[in-house]
Amino acid sequence: MENDQLIKDFFSEMKKQDQNLPIPEFPETKVSTFNWWFPMGIAASLLVGGLLWYQQEPAKEAPNEVIIISLQENENQQQTLIIEEKAYIDVWESSTSSLLTEF
Amino acid sequence: MNRSQLEHILKLHHREAYIWARQCCQFDDELAKDMLQQSYLKILEGKAKLKDATKVKTWLFSIIRYTCIDSLRKGNRLQALGEKDDFIEPEKDTEELNFEAILSQLPTMQREVITSVFYHQMTIAESAEILQISLGTARTHYERGKKKLKELILKSQILEYHGK
Repeated sequence: MENDQLIKDFFSEMKKQDQNLPIPEFPETKVSTFNWWFPMGIAASLLVGGLLWYQQEPAKEAPNEVIIISLQENENQQQTLIIEEKAYIDVWESSTSSLLTEF
Repeated sequence: MNRSQLEHILKLHHREAYIWARQCCQFDDELAKDMLQQSYLKILEGKAKLKDATKVKTWLFSIIRYTCIDSLRKGNRLQALGEKDDFIEPEKDTEELNFEAILSQLPTMQREVITSVFYHQMTIAESAEILQISLGTARTHYERGKKKLKELILKSQILEYHGK
């Protein structure tokens, strides 16, 4: 206990001395908060830009994948085969439709 | 616990926290201020969370201590724990009792246990929590620290007496 008293007195004196210790003011701490408005703004701009770009892009023409072979008479009353490549068919008539109409 | 509640707690313990930071930073005022600010930031940013509201002081002191240790290690200013077990001669030109110089002569762990108990009125168990060591180890540091501090005090008093 005697030992403790010596130490207690030591710290008591030290505390007295520390009364004169200048204590800094409570620091103004700025917590770094992530501002979500910036990434949201960038994302919205990209979305709008992407939509505009998508709308302005001209529609591509369909490739000529349809081959139309027709038998036509020319000026000399001769029948010739005419082969055309098109992307679409204006009129399509079944090759067996005559069976329905003629019989 | 929200930010304003945490700030309120920190403000209540600010004085003691600064003194503890100073004691952990080898009585370097500027370093202690920096370490205290870093500790507060850790708390307010939620990096260090208070689990038991009844242990605010031990929690705060523990954060400050580890912040100081990290900083001192980076600057190679911290002696390896337990390395400083040999008795170091006190400065002979000391005319009055220099508390900080005497305490600095204690090994780090002993100094921290003794300071937290005698200066900050904590129990050895609370001190063990701050230092994150077992109660038995804290008791050993406490007993050895007391013995060594007593020797240092007596030696400095003798020097003071002969100086006069």
